[in-house]
This record gives sequence, structure tokens and C-alpha cells, in this order.
Amino acid sequence: MKPRLLTALSLLVVSLAASAAGDAGRGADSFDANCAECHSVAKTLKNKKGPTLFGIVGRPSASIAGFDYSPALKAAGFAWSQEKLDAYVTAPKKLVPEGKMKFDGIADASERADLLSFLAEQK
Amino acid sequence: MSLSSRFAGFRAPLVIAALLLSATSAHALPSYARQTEQECVSCHVGAIGPQLTPYGQKFKIGGYTDGKIADWGIPLSAHIIAGATHTNKDQDGPAAENFKSNDNVAIQEVSGFVGGKLSDHVGTFSQVTLSGIEQRVGWDNIDVRYARELKFGTTDAVLGVSLNNSPTVQDPFNTVGVWAYPYTSSDLGFGAPSNALLTGENALYGLGQNVLGLTGYAFIADSVYAELGGYRRLNGNTLSRLGAGRDSAVPLTGFTPYYRLAYTKDFNHQNLSLGLIGLNSSFKPEDGGGAKDKFKDIGLDASYQFLGTRKHIGTVNAAYIREKQTLDYTLAEGGADHRSQTLKSYNLNAAYYFMNTYGATVGLFGSKGNEDATLYADNRLARPNTTGTTVQLDWTPTGKESFTGPAWLNYRLALQYTAFSKYDGAKSDYDGTGRKASDNNTLFLYLWSAL
Repeated sequence: MKPRLLTALSLLVVSLAASAAGDAGRGADSFDANCAECHSVAKTLKNKKGPTLFGIVGRPSASIAGFDYSPALKAAGFAWSQEKLDAYVTAPKKLVPEGKMKFDGIADASERADLLSFLAEQK
Repeated sequence: MSLSSRFAGFRAPLVIAALLLSATSAHALPSYARQTEQECVSCHVGAIGPQLTPYGQKFKIGGYTDGKIADWGIPLSAHIIAGATHTNKDQDGPAAENFKSNDNVAIQEVSGFVGGKLSDHVGTFSQVTLSGIEQRVGWDNIDVRYARELKFGTTDAVLGVSLNNSPTVQDPFNTVGVWAYPYTSSDLGFGAPSNALLTGENALYGLGQNVLGLTGYAFIADSVYAELGGYRRLNGNTLSRLGAGRDSAVPLTGFTPYYRLAYTKDFNHQNLSLGLIGLNSSFKPEDGGGAKDKFKDIGLDASYQFLGTRKHIGTVNAAYIREKQTLDYTLAEGGADHRSQTLKSYNLNAAYYFMNTYGATVGLFGSKGNEDATLYADNRLARPNTTGTTVQLDWTPTGKESFTGPAWLNYRLALQYTAFSKYDGAKSDYDGTGRKASDNNTLFLYLWSAL
């Protein structure tokens, strides 16, 4: 019984960890549906209406040279940690009230986790 | 072309102008892509075509001003449409002057555009077209806008005005009139008839490119679109200078009100819209002793788009228009048997796009009107009724991030087939000479390129 219980608990822990980390495959779909119209993750660092999201995790805000950021984002002065990205994707105007991004946000926490997992792989 | 009457002589120039300079127009502008740094597919389902995504609708409502002003100040674009047309049976005469009665190949149109942002709040879609069929240059679709984003409490809104030359050219939805499916069709074959003034022209008069209109609109909370305005006639001299031809002038009286109300909801993965649209017009030809022809058009429309991850896209567009005609002038001149007439028309189309590249669209269209042996004298059953189906397969490899060719290159290759189950009132012998509706079935292979 004990080994089985341990195995079950291990699986549960792994499953919860995976859930928290999100599914990058589903995140790719979420990116295509929600973000790709205005953002690229191409390694060529292509800017569209929005700046490239290649290497976004850990990047200082408003740091892509030549991209026309809003004054609000320029003044924000934070780095795009997973937490900041999660907050921004939840409600962009809440984190950066005078920002330019016209997106209502993603309310579903698991979809955000999937998306962030996908973005974390873009490096 | 689709309707005949003893008035055909004076309406012909109108119809030809409308066909050559309006019905075949279907445009997406690379200058918009350069301005916004977006790909064509951001605004258009399957690009190059005009079926607007919510992003594209908002760009239009915002006055074409999103993004930066062109480096050289004026946002310029151009396009060319060339195609080969085959009809089931030869037409009775040449498909157009200098063309054969069947199997024609032509550069249908070459257009230049000023399209995009002119200042922070002013933008335009302004087109000049060289018709390869009629071999003349003239103004085409014109829509110059002023728009501002405002906030009322916590509610976002866009308010704007549009100066334009054709009812519905300013509409952000692709259901009625200028931007409805099929977005491009052959000028040398037979297409779905445009039977109501609201969609460009009816059996007697045409408004597209023959009028000037000013409308004001509001787009509230990204969901309610309301527009109100009107149109006035342009005289022959003005139209002549604009290249539309002096004969295109219509005896439109006073102010022709146009109204539009729509609800739209964007769920990101999918979106829908429902709407109401209308136009009331009155014509008083000089030789009528004050008698007028009046038309009241009212339409209902709806659209649905499933965009998903943009790998599989499905769309449905539908519209129903009812035109009430009161023909005092035409009756007095002996051009109709009945003073009051009603014309009802519909279009319904569904499209599927794979990877925003490979598209298939099926569209049903139809119109139904009163019997009138004089107004429809050339129709054996004296009715205008026409029904049919337009199917299009298209391939558009450009206008998206995955396209690795030069950014200025945009093109679509398409095969379109229009089949008529009824034409001018009948399935067979519709004109008394034995011609069948299916004889007008038209196959159109075309290339559309824009830069």
C-alpha cells in the first residue's frame, strides 16, 4: 500500500506542478488566438503593432530598441517576471493604466498559465 | 444587365458605371499594413480580401488612423485585378466594347489609392481606377474620415464622420452593398444582381459613385455601432471631371437619409454582429413635371466569425433587404404598369479558410419582385426574380508572418463560379428567345495583386 500511496502522491504533486506551470502546447494555441495578431515570437525579433515577445520572460519592460512604447510603460521600470506577465495578461490596464495595448485580458487562470508556459519557451 | 425595361436606354450608363467601378471593387491596402505594422490577415479573413476581422472593423471605425503616418506623408497603394471569363453560352453580343461574346481575358482594373492616416484623427480610403474594360479613368470608392476616441465615464467610444461617395462604402461589416460577397466578380460575365439602391443600383437608378454623402457615427463600448447621415446628388459636370461620366448623374432630390444600427460582440476566438440598415431616396427627372420615383430600403443583416487560433476560420454573413418603390414618374412616363412595387433580396454566404491561405466560400443570392409587364418588358414572365449560387476557391499565400517573400508582394489566385437557377423571372426561356438562366453561369479565374 505504502509504495502505491507514495506513487499516487508523487503523481499528484507532478500533476499540480504541471498545472501551475501550464501546458506550452495549449499555450501556443492561446498565443495564436489572443496575441499573434499584434505580437511575434520569431527569433528574428520581429516587431508588429506590439513588440516582439521572443525572450520576454525576464526582460526589462519597454526595452526593445526602436519600438514606440507608451510613456506609461517606459516609466514602469519593472522586469517581465512570470508574476508581472500574469498580472498584465489578466488585465493590462490594471497593471499599466495608461498603456497602449488594446486587449481586455484573459480571465481564465489555467489559460494564462498555459500561455506563460509557452512564452517561457520562447528564448 | 439583369433587368430590362423600356428605361434601359437611360439607366444603362448608370449600370455600366456601377458595374465597372463599384461591384467589382474589393480592396485591402498594403499601405494600411505598412502604417500599422500589421499583416493583412490581422484585418482581413484570409487576406487580401475585404472580409474584416474585429481588428479591421475597429481600424476602419477609428478613421484608418491607427499607426504612424507614412514616411513620405501620403499613404499610397495600388492594385491590379486580371482575369479570364467564360459563360455557359455566348452572350447575345460582345460582353463589352472591344471584347468577344465569350471567353475573354482582361486586365479588369488597375487602381491607385490614398489609403491610411493623414493626421492624428483623419484617414482615408480613396481610390482612382483605370477600368481595363471601359478603358477610362475615374474616381472609385471614396471614404474620408475624421474619428476620435473618447471616454464617457467608464465607457469607451469612438465618434467620427465619413465623407463618402456610395452608401455602404463606409460600413464596417461585410454583409450589405459595396463590401458584400462576392468581393470581386467578373465585369465580362454575369454576377449576382444588385437589386436595391442600398446595394448600389436598382432597375432604374444607381447611387454608387454618383453621389456625395456625409454620415456621423458612434461606436460605443466596442459593441454598439450607430450611424446617421445622408447623400446628395452630384451634377453631370462634376461627375465628368471625376471621370464617372456626365451621364452618370442621377436626378436625386434633396437629402437622402441613410441610417445604420448594429450590435457586435468580439469574444476574441469568435465574434458576431446583428444589424439594421436603411436608405430613403427620391428621384425627380426634369421631364417629369414634378413627378417623383421614391424608394424606401430597409435591411437586416448578421454575421458570425469563428477565428480560433487562425488555423481554421469559418464565417457566415447574411442580409435581407426590402425595397418599397413608389414609381409616380416612371408610371406617368409609361415605364411601369404599377405605381407601387416591392423588391426583396437576400444573400447568405459561408466561408472556410485554412491557415488564412486556402479559402472556400459558398454564397446564395436571390431577389423577388412584383410582376410588371412594362417595367420588366424584356422578361418573358415580367418579373425580375433571380436566384443563384456563387462558389469561390482561393489561394492567398501572402500577407501573413509565415510568408517569406518580399513584404510588398501581395497576391491572390481565385476561381469563382456563379450558377443561376433563375434569371429575370424564369429558369428557361427567360427573355423569350430561348435563353436559359444556366446559360449565364459564369466561370471567372482571376489574379489580384496589391502593393
